[in-house]
Amino acid sequence: MANIVSPFEDPSARLSAGRFGMLIFIASLAMIFAASILAVMVVRFDDDGVWPPAGMPALPVTLLWSTIVLLASSATQVLASRAANRGDVRGLRRWMIITLALAIAFLAMQGWAWSDLVDRGLDFSQHLYAWTFYFLTGLHAIHVIGGVIPMCFVTARAVRLGYTREDHRGVAYVAMYWHFLDVAWIILYLTLLWAAGSLW
Amino acid sequence: MTMLDATRPDDAAPEPEVDNYLTYTRGFRSWAFTLDHKRIGIMYLVSVLSSFLVGGIFALLIRTELLTPGPTIPGVDANLYNQFFTLHGAIMVFLVIIPSIPAALGNFVLPIMLGAKDVAFPRLNLCSYYLWIIGAICAVVSLTVGGFDTGWTFYTPYSTTTSTGGVIPVVTGVFILGFSSIFTGMNFVVTIHKLRPPGMTWFRMPLLLWALYATALIQVLATPVLAITLLMLIVERVFMIGLFDPAMGGDPVLFQHFFWFYSHPAVYIMILPAMGIISEIISVHSHRHIFGYRFIAFSSVAIAIFSFLVWGHHMFTSGQSPLMNVVFSLITFSVAIPSAIKIFNWMATLYRGSISINTPMLYGLGFIFLFTIGGLTGLHLGTLNTDIHLHDTYFVVAHFHYVMMGSALIAMVGGLHHWWPKMFGRMYNERHGIIGFSLVFVGFNVTFFTQFMLGSHGMPRRYYDYASEFQIYHVISTIGSYIMAAGFFWTLYLLVQSLFTGKIAPANPWGGRSLEWQCTSPPPHDNFKTTPSVGDCYDFSVVRWSEEEGGYVVDRDDQTAPKPDH
Repeated sequence: MANIVSPFEDPSARLSAGRFGMLIFIASLAMIFAASILAVMVVRFDDDGVWPPAGMPALPVTLLWSTIVLLASSATQVLASRAANRGDVRGLRRWMIITLALAIAFLAMQGWAWSDLVDRGLDFSQHLYAWTFYFLTGLHAIHVIGGVIPMCFVTARAVRLGYTREDHRGVAYVAMYWHFLDVAWIILYLTLLWAAGSLW
Repeated sequence: MTMLDATRPDDAAPEPEVDNYLTYTRGFRSWAFTLDHKRIGIMYLVSVLSSFLVGGIFALLIRTELLTPGPTIPGVDANLYNQFFTLHGAIMVFLVIIPSIPAALGNFVLPIMLGAKDVAFPRLNLCSYYLWIIGAICAVVSLTVGGFDTGWTFYTPYSTTTSTGGVIPVVTGVFILGFSSIFTGMNFVVTIHKLRPPGMTWFRMPLLLWALYATALIQVLATPVLAITLLMLIVERVFMIGLFDPAMGGDPVLFQHFFWFYSHPAVYIMILPAMGIISEIISVHSHRHIFGYRFIAFSSVAIAIFSFLVWGHHMFTSGQSPLMNVVFSLITFSVAIPSAIKIFNWMATLYRGSISINTPMLYGLGFIFLFTIGGLTGLHLGTLNTDIHLHDTYFVVAHFHYVMMGSALIAMVGGLHHWWPKMFGRMYNERHGIIGFSLVFVGFNVTFFTQFMLGSHGMPRRYYDYASEFQIYHVISTIGSYIMAAGFFWTLYLLVQSLFTGKIAPANPWGGRSLEWQCTSPPPHDNFKTTPSVGDCYDFSVVRWSEEEGGYVVDRDDQTAPKPDH
């Protein structure tokens, strides 16, 4: 289109602004997660009863395995970013494919944990314990899906060896977002464990 | 294509070869898919003003209904009245005041004042606009499926149990509008950090940019909390989870805490950019360097920070612990400090200035007067014992209308007059503008000052019926609202008329020094052909009137030559 004006002087200024924008976006998302965690804590403090309440299943151990998978995906994403910074396009391709596979595996495990709990009768409208589980994991899963979609595009371009050492903005943005989701999940998971009385 | 020549800012004359953003490309698509911040700003302006008309009609319906105790307008019963005030509040807050200055005026002037070609993420900017449109459509949809009568605050348990069918669509709409606001805020923060040209240091930025920056921080950090709260509200209403229902282990006050954690900062989203506009107007139209630049700049940031710490003052009667009430009351009083700093600095700027009494300046002076009343009456509401008496009365209604409308909206209209010549390249009729201001100002005070008296006599807000002793105040208030409506319609007329018959505007009609007055009116498509050089944007000693220009020119002998084009 003829009427596009790029506000930036050069690609590096654009990358720097993009990274900063992503940081602001992450700060904004962090407020969503912080408020959600706070809501869960308030609800838990208000309830004098024992969690999980009688007749409701405890948190599945699947969550621990999915946590490990998510951590691993964050680590492989770091390797992918380093490869991109070196200009190692084949390394980038390898590590992006592995990261994407781990990300999808994480989502699958979360889905499995959900269906398992549904089968075991954890009805979210029955007790706030059930609601907090579905609420926090669901909120996180939506954001993971929102990360996997751009990650698919980035991986597809990495597979075509489409990135260069100078130009790999997509990799940088996906990496920032992905590490944020990793940290957010650990805090959410600890909150769930605490609310379910499994921490101490 | 002309160069923006810093030593010769006389390319204001609309020679045919001067490109301007309004005529750069033509056709519906060139506007609907534009990435130009100026066009997006204009689209916001039209959309916001249209919403203002709708919200204003509901306001007039409310005031007319309250002319007499009991039913007044045939066919309007108490339930319909509840929908009127809910719609008035929701439209004015979420569709008008929050986006009015940042998204409409801010989008237009921020990059130009900064000396940038556009905002950092032009596509995201257009996305924000369409999110606004989708949010507005959701609000319209809610009207077709039964409306909603929760009040604009959507308090639980009423919002989860009311039989009106429009609650979910409108809450979804506000959720989407929230993202529009977040993305605008992100764009502004990154633009101000990353697109300042050489020489534009933080402390050379016009104060409007400081205000928009502080506003953007609130938009980015507070709005997500509203988003998640509204999401919880939707789920609660659909599935009856019990999150806000004590019978099921939930906490009804939790909703209020979350709602006000956003909505108190939101009132600073409304007022901070207004204060920024006033800093510009007062300084430019009194042709005097702004007094206490750093104090005004930092007080904007201080207000943004304080805004996150005072939400509890909306809940003094909601059953918070007395300790919390005292703490929130104390922090609330401290907001008075940065607000007063601004007022005193504006007064000091006016002192011995060479004041032009024109429409923008009148709106500026009107702002100082109205904001002082609005701010000082806030102290009565922040004081615990008087708040018990005044809570949920017309005193509160009057207080926040003085701040939201008398201050935020008046500043918006003042800013509109101030930048109108820049936006459209036409001068409005000054005499007509002053008549418009007078009607609005008188009408506003007649409407809302009366409501302070109503409230302190004990008239509760949101009531359809009232004791006959209140009628005289209600009648005066309603008459005032008609005067104000006449003023706004008159203002609309004079601005639209100027587009057709107004004098061609010079580049710098007021004697401003900030960068937007150095490009042509209207500005060219990409704002600056060369990276502009930046001086002290409040140093008016180098600004002089030029008869041949029909406007002011800036003698830039103190400046280094502009850098060559990239």
